[in-house]
Amino acid sequence: VSATSYGWLILCFPLAGTLIVALGWRVLPGRLPGWIATSAIFLAFLSSIGALVDLLDHSEEDRQLVDTAWTYASTGNFKAGLSILVDPLSVFMCLVVSGVSFLIHLYSVAYMGGDRGYARYFSYLNFFVFSMLLLVLAGNFVILIIGWAFVGAASYLLISYWYRRQTAVAAGIKAFVINVIGDVGLVVAAFLILDKTGSLDLLPVFAQAGDTFARNDGTLVAACLLLLVRAFAKSAQLPLHTWLPDAMEGPTPVSALIHAATMVTAGVYLIARMHPLFEQAPAAADVGAIIGCATLLFAGTVALAVTDLKRVIAYSTISQIGYMVMGVSIAAYGAGLFHLMTHAFFKALLFMGAGSVIGAMAGVQDMDRMGGFRRAMPFTFVTFTIGALALAGFPLTAGFFSKDEILAFELNRGGGYAVLGILGYVGAFLTAFYAFRMVFRVFYGDPVPEAVELEGGHIAHGEPMNPMTGEAEDTEVGFPGPEHHVAERAWPMKSAMGSLALLSIAGGYLAVPGISDVIEKFLEPTFKDSRFHGTAPTDGAEVLGLVAGAVVAILAIGLAWWVYVREPGTATRIRERFPRVHGFLVNKWYFDELYEAMFVRPVATFGGFGRRVIETDFVQGTIVGGATGIVRVGTSFARAIQTGYLRAYALLLLVGVAGLTLYFLINSS
Amino acid sequence: VTIHLSIVLFLPLATGLFGAVLPREQVRWAVLAGTVVVLAYVIAMLVDFDPAGGLQYVTDDEWISELGIRYSLGVDGINLFMIALTAVAWVPCTLVAAFGPQDRPRLFFFNLALAETAVLGAFMAQDLALFIVFFDLMLVPFYFLIGGWGTGDRVRATTKFVIYTLSGSLLMLAAAIALGVLATPDGGSISFSLADLQQRGIPEGSQHWIVLLFALAFFVKAPLFPLHGWVPDTYRATSIPVLALLSGVLSKVGVYGFLRIVLPIMPEGAQHWQELFIILAVFSILYGSVLAFSQDNIRLVLAYSSIAQLGFIVLGIFAIQGNGAQGALLQMLNHGLVVVPLFLIVGMIALRAGGSESLAELGGMAFRAPVLAALFLVISFATLAMPGSGNFIGEILILFGTFQDKLVYGLVASAGVVLAAVYMIRLYQGTMHGRVGALVESREIDRVNLAAIAPLVAVVIALGLYPHFVLHRTERDATQAIAGARQAGSAQEVSAIR
Repeated sequence: VSATSYGWLILCFPLAGTLIVALGWRVLPGRLPGWIATSAIFLAFLSSIGALVDLLDHSEEDRQLVDTAWTYASTGNFKAGLSILVDPLSVFMCLVVSGVSFLIHLYSVAYMGGDRGYARYFSYLNFFVFSMLLLVLAGNFVILIIGWAFVGAASYLLISYWYRRQTAVAAGIKAFVINVIGDVGLVVAAFLILDKTGSLDLLPVFAQAGDTFARNDGTLVAACLLLLVRAFAKSAQLPLHTWLPDAMEGPTPVSALIHAATMVTAGVYLIARMHPLFEQAPAAADVGAIIGCATLLFAGTVALAVTDLKRVIAYSTISQIGYMVMGVSIAAYGAGLFHLMTHAFFKALLFMGAGSVIGAMAGVQDMDRMGGFRRAMPFTFVTFTIGALALAGFPLTAGFFSKDEILAFELNRGGGYAVLGILGYVGAFLTAFYAFRMVFRVFYGDPVPEAVELEGGHIAHGEPMNPMTGEAEDTEVGFPGPEHHVAERAWPMKSAMGSLALLSIAGGYLAVPGISDVIEKFLEPTFKDSRFHGTAPTDGAEVLGLVAGAVVAILAIGLAWWVYVREPGTATRIRERFPRVHGFLVNKWYFDELYEAMFVRPVATFGGFGRRVIETDFVQGTIVGGATGIVRVGTSFARAIQTGYLRAYALLLLVGVAGLTLYFLINSS
Repeated sequence: VTIHLSIVLFLPLATGLFGAVLPREQVRWAVLAGTVVVLAYVIAMLVDFDPAGGLQYVTDDEWISELGIRYSLGVDGINLFMIALTAVAWVPCTLVAAFGPQDRPRLFFFNLALAETAVLGAFMAQDLALFIVFFDLMLVPFYFLIGGWGTGDRVRATTKFVIYTLSGSLLMLAAAIALGVLATPDGGSISFSLADLQQRGIPEGSQHWIVLLFALAFFVKAPLFPLHGWVPDTYRATSIPVLALLSGVLSKVGVYGFLRIVLPIMPEGAQHWQELFIILAVFSILYGSVLAFSQDNIRLVLAYSSIAQLGFIVLGIFAIQGNGAQGALLQMLNHGLVVVPLFLIVGMIALRAGGSESLAELGGMAFRAPVLAALFLVISFATLAMPGSGNFIGEILILFGTFQDKLVYGLVASAGVVLAAVYMIRLYQGTMHGRVGALVESREIDRVNLAAIAPLVAVVIALGLYPHFVLHRTERDATQAIAGARQAGSAQEVSAIR
């Protein structure tokens, strides 16, 4: 079996899972849909390993394999097959995506156990994984666009999964529309590239990018900026990030899978995949690096102030993707993708832990109401802390090696890039601080009633209500079910979180400066054409960066400990001292309000204007009025014979046509 | 020369006439059977069609030799899928109508059958006069169907509908006669055969105003801003199965006329107005989308969305570029395929909401109707041209065709893609998701509607998997249809440079 056959298998299993669960929703009993979906993803993971093994059998030169199933759409210069590209980058992504997805499916089997839409949930989730794998395997721009749109659709469906919640519905349309804006960017970029290179297939485009385009060629820079629009819309980078915090309306495993581990990092994948174009348009790449850096700082500050547990993690995701975008934009592809992988592990883990706590809180997500869960949920506490350590970049965890590798690249490039690198360390300080703000506020302090109840062996089941608005809900389909699950009492959740905790530590050792460079080596065939090939910082420089990172992380964690454990109440005092700063951060820098005023209201206003003025006065008044006027004048001549009913005219017309037809039919033969 | 097309063409009418001798309640089954046979015939034709064969299944007889009018039918890449769309759309609409309670069924189904014959005739005609006969004949059954079986203020609606389309028709009639006369060479005899007209051609100066007259008629039919004054009333008053056909199939006859008549016969004229028509199309896209977004009545959401979609089709045609024309043809098929089920779903929604069609009163219907919600979801995604649907390939080809020479217009039109997502998701959520409306009773899709809609959804999905099936069959003729105008365009450019 060749690597491309494995590629098709990677796609077929989740698709088959989707169809089986979706069509069999009525007959599949109990938790079977969950297990079918989970097995489908596991098979996809095995196929990814198969593809990896087969790819390693090829010599390094021909580790880029393309296979086309059928001609998808071909006319004029627009030629697209249904084709996949299997190369180290896509296989790497397949492994990360299917592996993490498998664990999150496993977690969901138990976590979603009480939900009345169980089968619907798993069919959506499988469809998402299929789409994500299609995205990373796409061999040409058309299939790439389809993959992007499909993950967007799956994301929409899962954000609005509890579709009778007004907040979930509003979050869904927001995510969908911002996603479509990105799609349009990709479509226009694809046109510019097709127009200049005459191809929509990725490899031929890359091969001739250097010959077709001069360095910083205007068209190419435009195309790359449009690609960035696509990447930023999906990866929630400034200024297209507003949908991601709202996307937390979806079930928590969805946040872990789509809005942390896989889909939102697709922008990073896109930039890495399109590196031959970006390297030929360094102006656009610099824009990417700067926006990545701005985003990581912006989101880091918001995460300091927000109190909704899931939204803190969401802003943290935005911030961490900022690091990755910054990395791949300055050609630190291996480092950026390495961080993508470790982030997938520890961020999925953090969301799972948050889900477990939210389960114990009977759906409440506000950290102000949490505290003291350390003894009630020892397993969740330990794994969540491991995740937070990795996020903070604590020495010897996965995030430590991956984040600092990106920053070492930045510093190594020198000049303005070094400034970005230093700002990255500032961001790292914020990251470690808010990560442990979560840990200390949720697990330390006096136990809240729910924690006490759980220690007594009983999970709290409060009245079902919307955590955002506090509105009461019923528990029929389309709302979260009345049952809640915590990791301590569900082995599927436990095993998924345990595996990720392990990976959040061990994953880092795939690339330790001077010791191992598995990732870099494996990805090399994809990036060997890079202009920056071989400009990696020396091991010494990287080790120096690691030391700096370690100091920053330990200081920030210490500060968080001092603020939240040693001297509780400090945070409140600061908040009261600087209400404006706090308000600015809690309101997320007022981006939502800005967009409301800039886009939503003008369109709605024009719509109202169109409905009331253009339609009534112009179209109906002038044109209809004019037309009817003319007809009235015309008909007044025939008033004597007219019956006044249009019906008679039409009948006359029919009889006339029929008569004429008959007459000429007879006459002609 | 074959008789196949004549059989397909007159079969529906024959079943309608046959209904006169049947018991009142049996007429519907006869007409339904007729539509099914037509569909079977057309499927066979799709399989048998030779993509490289040009005009096929030709029937060409003298009809009114004094006036040079021939009974001439044929199928090529341009009308193949329009005929298929007609055949496909008529079956579910007739099916739903047949199972519904129908006042005066004999007359109703006769009109429905007559309408199919008229639309098929307009698509098949290879003679301009014949085209006009069928084009106007379409008006008659639809007039009766709206006026006689509509709801609400149907008199006003019908009046507007007739006045608008009749004015358009009259202008077109005048244009056609002028075209025939002007094209007649000295000493030659007049002919309305499209092939003759294309070969003879007419002076460029005359082309300008004749194209304009044709365009008026076609834009009214489509409809395009600002000639859509008949739309709101008509859409509100027409009964669902008829409305599905009106919006899904009838709207395509006009834009089809551009590719069949205007561009091949009067290329310089078409080229002359290109900019104006593109502006109209782009404006219709934006205007229709914004209005669709701000409507409360679910029929009107779809009505204005159709204006936007037809705007895209006109944009593709007047991009006067191969990809654009291909995209327009594909989109004509796609739009019909999604609008028919959409309107049938609208009918079902109203039925479950105590007759209400107001978004403010709807919501939360998915609840006990997962199959209905799922079918609606697929169709909504296809309508907003989600990549992976055939509609996406249609739209991207239209956009690529426009970008080629008219980048700025194309970019403005792209905003319509985003707006389409806004109004379709809003429509879907407003009916299926959110709080349960006061009058809403969530009930699963019934068998009849399932039988009508599920096959259409299957076709939509199949086209999403393999849109090349269409592109492969339309490429040759679509490219040829615009070749003349494209040449005229580059000739103009050359002379401008000199």
